[in-house]
Amino acid sequence: MALPLSTLIHSADCGEPQASEALFAALYRELRGLARRELARSGPGSSLGVTSLLHEAYLDISKREGVAFPDRARFFTYAARVMRGLIIDGLRSRQARKRGGAFEMTSLDGKDVGDGGPPGDAEEIERLGHALDELATMEPEIAHVVDLKFFCGFTFLEIAELRGVSERTVQRHWDKARIYLRHALREGFLD
Amino acid sequence: MNSARWRLVSPHLDQVLELSGEERQRYLHDLAKADFTLAADLMVLLGEEQALHDEKYLEHDAQDLFVESRLVGQTFGAYELVEPLGAGGMGSVWLARRSDGHFEGMAAVKLLSAALLGAEGASRFRREGTILARLKHPHIAQLIDAGVSEVGQPYLVLEYVEGEPIDRWCDNRSLDVEARLRLFLDVLAAVAHAHSNLVVHRDLKPSNVMVSKEGRVKLLDFGIAKLLDTESGAATLLTRDAGHAFTPAFAAPEQILGESVSTATDVYALGALLYLLLSGRHPAGGPGTKPAEMLRAILETDPVRPSDGMTDPRVATQRGTTPERLRRELRGDLDTIVAKALKKRPEERYASVAALGEDLRRYLAEEPILARPDSLAYRTAKFARRNARSLVAAAGTVLALIATVAFYGTRLAHERDRVRIEAQKSAQVSEFLTGLLIRADPYQDDQQEPTVRSLLDAGAARVRKDLAKQPEVQREMLTLLGRIYDRRGAYDQALPLLEEAVNLGRRTLGPSRELAQSLNDLGVAQRRKAQVDAARATLEEALAMRRQVLGDKHPEVAVTESELGRVLSDQGHLAQAESHFRTALAIRTQVLGPADHETATSMSDLGILLRTKGDLAASEALLRQTLVVTRNTRGPMHPDVGTAISNLALTLNERGNPVAAEAMLREALAIGRASLGKNHPDIAQRLINLAGALRLQGKLAEAAATAEEGLAISRPALGLDHPAVARQETGLARIYLDQGRPAAAKALLEHALEIQRRRYLAEDWRLGTTHSLLGAAYLGLKRLPDAEPHLLRAFEILKPTPGAEGQATREGRENLARLVALYEAWGRPEMAARYRSEE
Repeated sequence: MALPLSTLIHSADCGEPQASEALFAALYRELRGLARRELARSGPGSSLGVTSLLHEAYLDISKREGVAFPDRARFFTYAARVMRGLIIDGLRSRQARKRGGAFEMTSLDGKDVGDGGPPGDAEEIERLGHALDELATMEPEIAHVVDLKFFCGFTFLEIAELRGVSERTVQRHWDKARIYLRHALREGFLD
Repeated sequence: MNSARWRLVSPHLDQVLELSGEERQRYLHDLAKADFTLAADLMVLLGEEQALHDEKYLEHDAQDLFVESRLVGQTFGAYELVEPLGAGGMGSVWLARRSDGHFEGMAAVKLLSAALLGAEGASRFRREGTILARLKHPHIAQLIDAGVSEVGQPYLVLEYVEGEPIDRWCDNRSLDVEARLRLFLDVLAAVAHAHSNLVVHRDLKPSNVMVSKEGRVKLLDFGIAKLLDTESGAATLLTRDAGHAFTPAFAAPEQILGESVSTATDVYALGALLYLLLSGRHPAGGPGTKPAEMLRAILETDPVRPSDGMTDPRVATQRGTTPERLRRELRGDLDTIVAKALKKRPEERYASVAALGEDLRRYLAEEPILARPDSLAYRTAKFARRNARSLVAAAGTVLALIATVAFYGTRLAHERDRVRIEAQKSAQVSEFLTGLLIRADPYQDDQQEPTVRSLLDAGAARVRKDLAKQPEVQREMLTLLGRIYDRRGAYDQALPLLEEAVNLGRRTLGPSRELAQSLNDLGVAQRRKAQVDAARATLEEALAMRRQVLGDKHPEVAVTESELGRVLSDQGHLAQAESHFRTALAIRTQVLGPADHETATSMSDLGILLRTKGDLAASEALLRQTLVVTRNTRGPMHPDVGTAISNLALTLNERGNPVAAEAMLREALAIGRASLGKNHPDIAQRLINLAGALRLQGKLAEAAATAEEGLAISRPALGLDHPAVARQETGLARIYLDQGRPAAAKALLEHALEIQRRRYLAEDWRLGTTHSLLGAAYLGLKRLPDAEPHLLRAFEILKPTPGAEGQATREGRENLARLVALYEAWGRPEMAARYRSEE
């Protein structure tokens, strides 16, 4: 019988590595299940975003686990990281399903014509994930902004409220984290 | 940068991100004074910041990547989306199923991406629909339906082709040449049908030529196709940006050059496709070829004949034969047919797709083909084209000229009342340059292709003759040409031009920014020609004039400060040189910032000087910083990067790390050879430096050979009388001495000493070094009385300044050891003891 999430979160807070892994796995199952249920309920073309999914998850779990469940800020700290894993896995499996290049659309430099939007393929997102883990070992609070903003679609205001800081601070953390990530993906922070 | 450095920079980054532009510069400036490397790291990261704002880096949410998957199950017309087949910047393509139950069957639905739903994207999309609607052919994937969905999403429903790209299809089934050609004829039929409907495909490549499971060719993706103008038969440009969306590997030269596109453009792509199907290779290079190289090959190089490169047994097996037999099969007619389709000039290709098809049919029927192999007349015509191409290379230089002219134009434009005159002037200059290109007659001297050099020479002659009545333009052009000669190492040509420019400037302008510029350039060339005294006088005049006209803190003042510092350093006035270098560095750091290329040049000057002084740690720090900034500002293969690496290597060598120095110098050599050419004087200096690093590792034979190679370059390039040659000879002599070859060393050192005596002050430490080494050579030859005066002279010159720890001090110590050895060999122990006590 799996431990309640509140217990796992508490142990992970105390820095127990096994608890962190168990928490990650449990949240992963929880969020994936929720995403599937939502998709089934509202049908294709549903516009349920990652952000609302996380809010829904929080409501669900905190109702289930009662008063012992930590506050939203604590929950989102872990859930956003888990969400990132879920998204990367999703992209990876979608990439695997893709057929060969029958409909390539290429530009002069041989890359897909893009507008500076999200890094396209699963590998790149995975590399981003690794760089983000590196950053989190040094400056967890700024790495976390990327999980919330880029992976989970939170706005600066939401993140600021969640963490009790000013929007300006969140914006600065976001810029700093992106500086790190862009450099890490292009040049690498070699040790 | 590594994580440890990130941790160091991180708090500064926090601070700097809070600051505005000007405050940031000040912060960086202060930090640079305290810790250069840290400031440089910070600069790099701030560069990232700029880039991420420009790119909107990560500003889309990751979940946008999934948005498409919500489209599953949506219907467009009679079709319901099943799964995505592919996506690109323009939109996505979906596999779709007929949903109304009337017919069985799958289709491909193409959706325009939301980002491109602007007027232009939509019109492009409509155009593809219009084009496809015209085309009905068994070998073209059919348009089934087109429309706009309820939510305003434009879509095209196309025939779905389940199959493989034609090249893979052929390879997987090991089709022989004949079967490939028959399949290719179907491709030609499809393209011919499009052409007869005035449609040019413009993006023919294997992935757009599919072969279905049943073996039927289907042409896909008219996304960037063009409608031809009915009257002229030339393509009309419907949208501007679509012109760039082609695939470079299969693009015709005229597409790359942005010239007008016609049916001949498709003939070219078909030629490339045929080449690939026959030989397994691409005419402009394999999959590893960099885009830039590929473009160059498409524009400039005639591809090797398909039969010529045929050695790969795998390719032959995929064609059911052996390399030898395949070679024989391709040689002759097929080589000729492919070559004709791939001509650089559209009018030389097959006049139509049908004509290409006709020749292939003739080949298959074993009838004579109509295309002729390259005749003598063709080769003669081609000679003219080759000349035209080297003119293109020369155009690179001339483009640099034009850029400089443009720079002058804008700079001068700041002076308001002169705007009109200057605009006129720079227009004249550009006109002149264009004339230079056009008039350089490729047939002038029969066999010789015009070189950049001959263009420059022709240019110099014309500047003197044609521009005599416009002294202003003439002066400017003389300065420009002089600089270009200077940069190419042709100092003899540079000097007279620059002298003329200065004289003209004195007559027509008087003290002015322009005259100061000419003076500066002349001083630089004089220094390169080792006319050190003249260089110093010229540069002092230039510096005074620049200060007077521009004030003390101007970047152009810093330029002359640096150049003057270099001359003083050449003359051995190290303290004065250092003060000029520091002034230049201060101005540049303040005005241009620490990560600017010119600031890096100043750091380099100072770093080299500090090496000579013996402050090796500071020298290394400055030179490392120089390298970082140079790489960032100039790109990894720029000649300046080679110079920066070479300079840093020398300091590392002095710091007792010859292994690292050797590796770096080899890199510097490679960059230099690629960017400067094999016989540039800088290459010689790098070879000598490399020899020094090898010598310190005891690899004496290699060291000697390397230094000899260097001198073989520098002697003819600089002349025997040049002090750089003298210094290089000293370096080689040192190696000969280590090898126990005192006689060879002596010859070199006597020559070097003769030059240096004329060039340097009597107390210059470099003279002391040469004396000391010559003494050592005599010592090795057991000519003790001849050794003594040289060693004693060296002793006087190299007397250590208290506290100094430079090259001179080290040479002085070595000289003392030689003196001791001399007197011991001579049997004069009291003298030996005297000098031993000095050690």
